[in-house]
Amino acid sequence: MNILLTGASRGVGLVICKTLLEQGHAVYAVSRTHSDEIAALQKQYPEKLFFKSADLGDPAAAKAAIFAEDFVSNKIALDAFVNNAAQAYDDIVTNLNLEPLRAMYEVNVFAPMLLTKYAIRNMLLHGKSGGIVHISSISAHTGYKGLAMYASSKGAIEAFSKNTAREWGGRGVRSNVVVPGFMETAMSATLSQEQKDRIYKRTSLKKATDISSVAETVAFLVSDRAASITGQAIHVDNGTI
Amino acid sequence: MEKLAQIINKIRANKGNAEPVALTPQTRLREDLAFDSFDLAELTVHVEDAFGKDIFEDGVVDTIADVCKRLGI
Ligand SMILES: NC(=O)c1ccc[n+]([C@@H]2O[C@H](COP(=O)([O-])OP(=O)(O)OC[C@H]3O[C@@H](n4cnc5c(N)ncnc54)[C@H](OP(=O)(O)O)[C@@H]3O)[C@@H](O)[C@H]2O)c1
Repeated sequence: MNILLTGASRGVGLVICKTLLEQGHAVYAVSRTHSDEIAALQKQYPEKLFFKSADLGDPAAAKAAIFAEDFVSNKIALDAFVNNAAQAYDDIVTNLNLEPLRAMYEVNVFAPMLLTKYAIRNMLLHGKSGGIVHISSISAHTGYKGLAMYASSKGAIEAFSKNTAREWGGRGVRSNVVVPGFMETAMSATLSQEQKDRIYKRTSLKKATDISSVAETVAFLVSDRAASITGQAIHVDNGTI
Repeated sequence: MEKLAQIINKIRANKGNAEPVALTPQTRLREDLAFDSFDLAELTVHVEDAFGKDIFEDGVVDTIADVCKRLGI
């Protein structure tokens, strides 16, 4: 399969990238940084991993760079789009500032919506069914102090996914969401051990969510093994109840 | 025009309309060809691939003449 993946340079995206490559897929990976880890994977999978640096903070420019002759051109038949890249704007609501809020929405909401448009158009052009997976966050389902703005962007993308599934199901396009709990990545690095412990206490398994479990779920959802799954939000969150 | 007719007839054929239609500039995409919004989306991507232009980018397109005008053919 040919899979477009955003936010591949590190964290969850890097593990998703590795998992998809190990399963034999071709990955069109996007992030701003061409990290050492991506460079190493390109050496290992020269025929399967393609990288493009793009800033999703400017969705139109990013779209132009991604759906370009030298990357995901019309000659490439996309089988899946994985929207993983995101930024967090953390603060309490009374400190809300429009500028960083807008900047986060460009990356977390507007860019993935625009890329979904062109991913579906690519699937239509090739007359193929396809899969879309968005990475959401448990914060959209369970409230946490300081995450209202960030969680709202994930709520938006979850609603977008459900409606995309309904709208395009007739043409064989599936759209699902993976909802991870807290994971140990750069995004959560600013939390103190005490804050983390408090978060983990709210999970059934009492620990951080395993990144590879999230990546495996993404790989499953884009594959034919999930042929009858669409419009769903699959929680991979250590049982946050 | 011939390429456009090919694209349109292929979309119709995929919907089970085996009979190719003869297009005139006045042919209306929705009323005469019974294209719904999904068919129009399919038309857009195939036309864009063939002609390099997104015909629906700036507003509504109704007839074959509108499509030709957008494409400059
Ligand atoms: N960590 C958690 O606890 C947690 C929990 C629930 C959900 N999530 C979600 O999981 C996903 C992955 O997060 P993560 O924890 O792996 O975060 P991360 O380590 O901060 O990685 C974020 C990725 O997104 C890319 N990215 C960020 N801004 C970008 C931009 N403007 N343009 C292009 N790429 C951009 C980054 O690449 P560059 O910096 O190189 O551009 C990086 O590859 C996100 O959707 C996040 O919301 C995370």
